[in-house]
Amino acid sequence: MEHIVFGIGITALAGALATVAGSAEDTESNIGSQGDPNSQVQLAPQMGFLHRIFNKAVAGEPPAYGLWCCLGAGLAWAFMAMQFNAVLAIVLGCVFATFVQGVYATTAYVGRTASLAKFGQPVYVDILKSMTTVTMAHAFIAIFCTVTLCHLINTALGHPFPLPLLGLIWGIALGAAGSATGNPYYGKERQYQNQKFGAGVPISASGNIVRYAEAGERNSIDNGWFTAKIGGSASGICFGLIVFLELWRTVVFEAINPWYAIIVGVIMILIFTVIDRYIEVWARKTYGPYTAPKEADA
Amino acid sequence: MSAVAAKPAAGGAMNPGAMAVGIILTLILVGICYVMSPGVGLMALIGVVIGGILIGFGTHFVPVGGAPAAMGQAPGIATGVAMLATGAGVAGLFGGAWAAETLPATMDPMMQLLIVVCAGGVGGGLMMAITCMMVNFLYVFGMGIPPASGKVANDPITGDSQAEYKSQGTEGHGLPFVSFVGGVIGGTLGGAGGTLIYFELLNLYQGALPDVMNVTAAQVLPIAVSLAGMFAVGLFLVNAVLTAYNITGTIEGPHDPKFKRWPRSIVASAVASALCGLCAVLIVVPLPI
Repeated sequence: MEHIVFGIGITALAGALATVAGSAEDTESNIGSQGDPNSQVQLAPQMGFLHRIFNKAVAGEPPAYGLWCCLGAGLAWAFMAMQFNAVLAIVLGCVFATFVQGVYATTAYVGRTASLAKFGQPVYVDILKSMTTVTMAHAFIAIFCTVTLCHLINTALGHPFPLPLLGLIWGIALGAAGSATGNPYYGKERQYQNQKFGAGVPISASGNIVRYAEAGERNSIDNGWFTAKIGGSASGICFGLIVFLELWRTVVFEAINPWYAIIVGVIMILIFTVIDRYIEVWARKTYGPYTAPKEADA
Repeated sequence: MSAVAAKPAAGGAMNPGAMAVGIILTLILVGICYVMSPGVGLMALIGVVIGGILIGFGTHFVPVGGAPAAMGQAPGIATGVAMLATGAGVAGLFGGAWAAETLPATMDPMMQLLIVVCAGGVGGGLMMAITCMMVNFLYVFGMGIPPASGKVANDPITGDSQAEYKSQGTEGHGLPFVSFVGGVIGGTLGGAGGTLIYFELLNLYQGALPDVMNVTAAQVLPIAVSLAGMFAVGLFLVNAVLTAYNITGTIEGPHDPKFKRWPRSIVASAVASALCGLCAVLIVVPLPI
């Protein structure tokens, strides 16, 4: 019983770390335009809309975070093997992984933006200096939280995978959850803030992203500030729920009977299915159709 | 034939000749394994091929909208096919590997396999259920947009009409219920397939590595777990990326016409998994020279 209570405590801590990691990951990727909306940042100069938005997307979020978290976890594991204190080892590992992220962000921005030279898009050195450090700070939080929760899973909960492999797995899952949840809010709600609320962006508007702020030109720190409110929080809740519920059902029920953990997992899936259906029906009833009902030409 | 004279890319067309070649290649690779390592090695390779096919087939269910979905221009989840399928699959692999660790060694091997694969499948399905639910949550409460499909007039499961809920100038947005269900099925199949690969390779390495390295079974366990885990993640990426090429960009789920391309993908997954699986098996099999 005691070890189950201990396990639940670790599970709660891991869930909280995952929530912070998900939120920081989405904000970092939005500041760097690393999710799918990067296509619009890249397209805008080609349509004649020059901008000062940071764009470091040369890899999807899941493989990028898989690399950084695996690197942080691997280095932390190596430092721990050298008898470093676990906290110090994790911090040092994550610092080095963040430096790699910084190099990645710098080369990615310069490379992607230089490719737009023929359309007149400049490479802004001040953008490079101010945005890169902000993304590095957010990346450090995301990597540190992920590596720490991997360390807890490995040492306190006894998962068989070594720390670097756990870092790779949860880094990929972090990127997948963060990009899936947070991307639409940055792409639709922030980049196309000039379009109507409550409707998708018409395909004809592609590339015409918002480039001006209340004062002067908009930059990516403004975008991070805006998306952190809902997109970042939703991504954090998404990744936090994934980690917490996956650990909780295993820690509590696996020891009693392995089938119980599976059955509880199936029940959770059914509960989320009901919630999703409720959200869909609520939206259809509350917002109503855009046009009068008619036979669709599918 | 020049590229200009070629017919438009018939994405959905099946090429029987190419598929037959793929099946023959798979059989040749399995035959090589039978010659090199009959018994446990062959069983492991068959498990890897079945796991790879499950991943390839499951990825077709995952609703992925890519960049258009990020602007609310198309339904699906706003990320890449390989990205999301891999994220769900490795989350399932995490759960399956944990279940494999805690099972008593005295349990019937088939029952062990069943529990581990189910645990992996449920882990992947749970990850996708949470992600799909949060995507709809954000579309509805964050952006005020109801889910709507662009490929069907009515949701095949709920019967809800879709056309009038598509905003002007878009192909649809969000995740209609059939896409949510497709996502959960895709995550479940992917998680189960990845865990099957891990479990089969783990059994092989646990049995073969002590002799190869001249160490005890207890000493070899961390190496066997790490090796099997890395191969499982690698095979996941191989199969998810192959399937992403078959889907060519975006797919709404099982109701999307692109879903019908799955036979082509599972043949490709079988060949790729057999080749990668053969490498995974042969690293612990001494060559007969």
